[in-house]
Amino acid sequence: MQQPKRTKYRKQFKGRVHGMARSYTRLNFGSYGMKASEPARVTARQIEAARRTITRHLKRAGRIWVTIFPDVPVSTKPAEVRMGKGKGAPEYWMCRVKPGRIMFEVDGVGEELAREAFRLGAAKLPMATRVVGRLL
Amino acid sequence: MADVTTIAAEAREGTGTGAARAARRAGKVPGVLYGGKDGATHVSFAAEDIQREVKRRGFLQHLYDVKVDGKTVRALPRDVQFHPVTDQPIHVDFQRITGHSRIRVLVGVQFINEGASPGIKRGGVLNAVRREIEVTCPADAIPESIVVDLTGLDIGASVHISHISLPEGVRPTILDRDFTVATVAPPTVQAVEPTPGAAAAAEGEGEGEGAEAKPAAEAGDAKKPAAEAKKPADSKK
Repeated sequence: MQQPKRTKYRKQFKGRVHGMARSYTRLNFGSYGMKASEPARVTARQIEAARRTITRHLKRAGRIWVTIFPDVPVSTKPAEVRMGKGKGAPEYWMCRVKPGRIMFEVDGVGEELAREAFRLGAAKLPMATRVVGRLL
Repeated sequence: MADVTTIAAEAREGTGTGAARAARRAGKVPGVLYGGKDGATHVSFAAEDIQREVKRRGFLQHLYDVKVDGKTVRALPRDVQFHPVTDQPIHVDFQRITGHSRIRVLVGVQFINEGASPGIKRGGVLNAVRREIEVTCPADAIPESIVVDLTGLDIGASVHISHISLPEGVRPTILDRDFTVATVAPPTVQAVEPTPGAAAAAEGEGEGEGAEAKPAAEAGDAKKPAAEAKKPADSKK
């Protein structure tokens, strides 16, 4: 699973996912990519699950790039703990994804295989996605 | 590329975001026509015309006769802006082409004979270092694509610009070095979960499928530390 090596601060505000992606809305590495159609918070586990699914479906053919990184710590309070007494402990990492953002790219495989791999991978993610190819 | 497509446009009143949005609301795609001796002309195209043309391979290497209010201007598309979510074109730039001028243009690279490459046959991956090459060429002779023959390319081998024969009058803009266009990379290997036991082995392996081939006992041992590793690292306690 991906996570930052070190951070400046241990805990962050929850935040919201507003607006559309301004950068990384076109393919940079591969021939096909998975683009977010909705805003969402994607956890490191979800990214890893999707990556594994895509890689397995491609059966070692081609290359895959993961272009999002979970760098936002999410804290939770333990079970049966009353409110107050400060913020909970950091529990996992997530990444805020805006609609239009390319999350995965693949290259070296045909369109049909890439689409099917992305369809299976998208089932592990918390938002609707779309497969995009190269334009121009 | 000899064929020239005609595309209809109409002059647009006003400039800036408001006028562009008004054009989009009317089902049009705003654009600009610049270059040559005339100044910039703000135009708009029928959305379906631009969408159809943009989907064509090599849109930015194709010459157009833009008909604006009865006058025809030969122009080359220079830039297209896309909507981030829908990927529909939202603005197009056209540059007027005059006389026999030489222009700089990005031409797409087309790879052929992948089946004749022993490296790709053995599971190697074609790593396209450059999908487009910037060239200077006569405006009326823009190559449709630059063809790269992969015959005989093994794993680790690469294709440089000097190996590619370009059409007459076409020169790459980078002349000071023999840059790489593509390489055949070895197949990717599964990234191993960063567990204390397997950490040393996983170092520097990158992504791939190797983790699935691990013995069951080893995979079982790996579960505990992996669960601990999920918590964000406390760098400043």
